[in-house]
Amino acid sequence: MSTRNLLLIPLLSLLLFACSGEDIVDDRIDETLVLTGTTSTLQVGSSFTFEARYLNNVGQEEPATVLWESSDDTVASINENGLVTALAAGNTQITATVLGNDLVVTDTASLNVVAGMVQDPMLIVKTGSIMTTSSYDLSGDYTIEEVENTPGVRLTFASNYVADTALPGLYLYLTNNPNSIAGAYNAGPVTTFNGAHSLDLSDVQINDYQYLLYWCDPFGVKVGQGTAN
Amino acid sequence: MTTLARLFGMLLLFAFAKAEAQWTRGANQGYFKLSAWFLEADQHYTSSGETDPNATRGQFNVNLYAEYGISDRWDVVAYVPFFSRTYQNDQVSGVTGNVITEGDEVNSIGDIDVGVRYGIIQKEKFVLAATLKLGLPTGESSGGVDGSYQTGDGEFNQLLELSAGTSFKIGTIPWYAKAYTGFNNRTDGFSDEFRVGAEVGSNMVPEKLWLAGRLNVVESLQNGDRNAQNSNGSIFANNIEYVSLGAEVNYNLSDRWGLSAAVDTAVSGRIVYAAPSYTAGVFFKL
Repeated sequence: MSTRNLLLIPLLSLLLFACSGEDIVDDRIDETLVLTGTTSTLQVGSSFTFEARYLNNVGQEEPATVLWESSDDTVASINENGLVTALAAGNTQITATVLGNDLVVTDTASLNVVAGMVQDPMLIVKTGSIMTTSSYDLSGDYTIEEVENTPGVRLTFASNYVADTALPGLYLYLTNNPNSIAGAYNAGPVTTFNGAHSLDLSDVQINDYQYLLYWCDPFGVKVGQGTAN
Repeated sequence: MTTLARLFGMLLLFAFAKAEAQWTRGANQGYFKLSAWFLEADQHYTSSGETDPNATRGQFNVNLYAEYGISDRWDVVAYVPFFSRTYQNDQVSGVTGNVITEGDEVNSIGDIDVGVRYGIIQKEKFVLAATLKLGLPTGESSGGVDGSYQTGDGEFNQLLELSAGTSFKIGTIPWYAKAYTGFNNRTDGFSDEFRVGAEVGSNMVPEKLWLAGRLNVVESLQNGDRNAQNSNGSIFANNIEYVSLGAEVNYNLSDRWGLSAAVDTAVSGRIVYAAPSYTAGVFFKL
């Protein structure tokens, strides 16, 4: 064996393995239907168009035929486009249904019909908790809310919030799939690691995303999630 | 961002590069080893010492390790990873088959180590040596689309080691044992490190086959100020700790040439890959 061939042994023997490939990510979730445009109160004689979004088994929005139903047609009727007409004082449940790819998914909202004037709708506030799904510290409570006369939402983290400072490249995403950043909104790198603080996101609407997703970008792995109701 | 490369394996390189590392060579004597080193991991030891998954990352380098005696007591040593590669796999949806996150790769020279060794005691059965090794930030410390692909840590470190070794026979088979302790002074906000290790080897086939097993321990002094709060995404390789075990086989093809193969793996640690590394090399004795 020549010296040159001898020297090639280490290079060739391991270079064969040093090629990138693919990791398969388990990103399957249950399909969901989310009522995004709703109102809780209507005046008799008025109308309002309800809206719904169907999210498929990877949390991506997908066109779908929505079947609308009012539990009490004498209080309010609803047509195939989600247009509600308030008929008489009382309460009814508005239900949206989609025959998904694998499941039948529904979402329901309560609607009160009143005879008098309707007050301006309240700003939506959702509360949730963050929890780690890894070995890194991550926990705390938070709210996500609409802000009066301001586009977007405000994320407010409570004083019990804590995130691990040892983790490199921790990012916060808003997503409809807690197992993937595909289609998620990147809120940027985490820069506060404990205590109360807030974050304004001007280009996000309150019903756009269901989850907070803490993601280590360099590791390409989920660190934790938050779910608000 | 710095030193994913170091985080995920460069430290382990010391393990195999250190073979025969406390016996000084003697004037005009040398030992040169050309090696390829490979590590690929889909999990790592976290800051709490548990294992968590990660996107599969790999590292590969081709390096030259050299020791040359400039006198009976002084050697110069160098470790030159002249080709270093780090890569990450594509992340693909298991449902749709679509690429969620594209992989990436960086190829460059790695961090070079240069140093000197002084033979303090050079008895037939016992040697004691001190080594000063300088880690030069010659590698890429912020490569790839997100800056997290590194073939070096971007900092200049100084490693001072004291090593002792002895040789003996069990029956007719020659053995050696050695141990070392060292202090690695790191700069640029990285924590300093305390290191210890040991190796036992035997000449199983006279003048032909050497087998060795080794232990390496790195403890962080936790005195660096680099963390996610003051340098988000730039904390790779800080506060790394591990206990690694390794095995190496060396086969002499002739008086001067030989083949070497080794495997090392961290059996516990913090902020380090939880996967074995492999090396194969050719050595030449001058």
